[in-house]
Amino acid sequence: MKAVCWMGKEKMQVHDVPDPRILNPRDAIVRITSTCICGSDLHLYDGFVPTLEQGDILGHEFMGEVVEVGPGISKDKLKVGDRIVVPFTIACGNCQPCHDGLWSCCDNSNPNAWIAEKMMGYSPSGLFGYTHMLGGYAGGQAQYARVPYADVTHMKIPDGLPDEKVVFLTDIFPTGYMGAENCNIRPGDTVAVWGCGPVAQFAIRSCFMLGAGRVIAIDCVPERLELARKGGAETLNFNEVDVLDALREMTGNRGPDACMDAVGMEASGHGAVYAFDRAKQIMRTQFDRPIALREAILACKKGGTVSVPGVYAGFIDKVPFGAYMNKAITMKTGQTHMMRYMKPLLDRVQAGEIDPSFVISHKVPIDRAPEMYKTFRDKQDQCIKVVLKPWEQAMAA
Amino acid sequence: MNRNIDRTQSGNDSQRSWQNGLGPRGLLIGAAALIAYGLTKRSKTGAAMAAAGSVLAFRAVKPSRRSTESDARTTFLLNSTPEQAYTLWRDFEKLPRFMRHIKSVRNLGDTRSEWVALGPMEAEVRWQAEITEDQPNQRIAWRSLPQSMVQTSGSVEFTPDPLARGTYITAQVRYSAPGGAAGSALASMLGKHPEFMMREDVRRFKTLLETGEVPTTLGQSHGPRGMHGASEQFLFRETANLPDPQAAGDYRRSA
Repeated sequence: MKAVCWMGKEKMQVHDVPDPRILNPRDAIVRITSTCICGSDLHLYDGFVPTLEQGDILGHEFMGEVVEVGPGISKDKLKVGDRIVVPFTIACGNCQPCHDGLWSCCDNSNPNAWIAEKMMGYSPSGLFGYTHMLGGYAGGQAQYARVPYADVTHMKIPDGLPDEKVVFLTDIFPTGYMGAENCNIRPGDTVAVWGCGPVAQFAIRSCFMLGAGRVIAIDCVPERLELARKGGAETLNFNEVDVLDALREMTGNRGPDACMDAVGMEASGHGAVYAFDRAKQIMRTQFDRPIALREAILACKKGGTVSVPGVYAGFIDKVPFGAYMNKAITMKTGQTHMMRYMKPLLDRVQAGEIDPSFVISHKVPIDRAPEMYKTFRDKQDQCIKVVLKPWEQAMAA
Repeated sequence: MNRNIDRTQSGNDSQRSWQNGLGPRGLLIGAAALIAYGLTKRSKTGAAMAAAGSVLAFRAVKPSRRSTESDARTTFLLNSTPEQAYTLWRDFEKLPRFMRHIKSVRNLGDTRSEWVALGPMEAEVRWQAEITEDQPNQRIAWRSLPQSMVQTSGSVEFTPDPLARGTYITAQVRYSAPGGAAGSALASMLGKHPEFMMREDVRRFKTLLETGEVPTTLGQSHGPRGMHGASEQFLFRETANLPDPQAAGDYRRSA
């Protein structure tokens, strides 16, 4: 089958690799019909996340049709022919965190938990197409994928809904929604969102679903700001204004009730501290560039909430912890507890409350994935979200 | 009370045996891996790693005295009843499903069993063991028969959490072997880090108990690994991730 492999920093290649097979009783094999490139894949593309290996198949946003089911899965849970979306977190459904609804903190799905424990104390769940620290499972930017614990790690999709409307239930819609839920929104609250990437676009719309009065979105890419405005947000371009001043002005010197860092470890910014962060990241003394997080903490109102759906991998410097402590801020974060959100959000899609396909800017055959990584990373060609079609042939140039 | 004191002591013991257990052979393999890995990085970090590897290699070839003793202990909170946990562990012939260095266990009837462990280069180490204590749903203890080449003893305890959050498993295994081939094979096998191996065994036991399988990526598809990837694969042990849970004892493919 064709698969998008990470062959080194900024080096993606499509390779012909063996088809996946059932390795464990609760595995299933999915023939992929749609798969996406996620913003967090760009962290891998840029080589910032440790324990990725040459040859790893990336991709954690995929859906398709079940073509093979392991002997450990009963027919009423999952069967050949079912059309499913696959969440990016792998959960066993049996451990204490899964019972508590903390699906992305599953105890059992990461076979390399010991590596993650060295860095984090305890290991979160395994992920598709991510680093070996988080399981090293082959990802879904391919024609087929193996889904471990497939009886739990899936959601069935009724026929009639096109892929484009449901494929984002694999990650970015639930992630944006949980980011909004983590803002502890009360009716009429003001939420500031750093970043206007795909997750942020869903977060902005989710904030309004949860009763926010105002959403202020911060980015520097014109088409992304435009899309945020379409979602009802006011926007700030951090290349044009001082974000902290502008937020103070817009909220009457009170600050937003909640601030969301939907950017994560590769934030862009200005000035000496940004240069310092870049240098440290290149020197590998710091994995992450926490510019958005710093601003979010400083901008947040007293007693407010900081929600962090953006991805961080390791350690960060110069976090204004004094502001965090003295302003009595609550911070909520985590990889998305997918199984908690997929069904309710599918219901919203079916009810016509939201059509998630609005973020798609590019739809291309899988052979073009390597160039799309670059386009997406450099935000060229007004690229916001890329959907890959594994079975379509690339047009002859 | 008693248990706490006991735990502290054995913690110290195992730390000592870990220092003893890191033999020159293990160190040399590690050093070679570090040099190879460093060189394939073709960067300053890589050069530094290769240099560090050389220092380790030098230390490894310096003679040192060590014994082949090891003692390891670990504890996990299981999401199960003591009965379920006890039943899974008591089936000795299936222990290799989660004990990675054990190739097979064969029941010899009564309370006796024959154990085969795999050292490096697939060298087999055999011994016979007997169950010395068997309190259903609470505790199992075993030890090797006196004439065995390897002296080993182990125990596993299942205690229900007083707040009904599950069952604590506490497992302990002690090995010692006289010199000779069996001793050195055993030493290399355990030399990695007995505490670590024990912990991973019990973690796999937990996963097997809770989910009915041991998660693995062994045998999954991937693109070409390249030289750098191959050394990383060795270091992160993707191919040696686990024995295939569907073919317990079929260690060869995973080793």
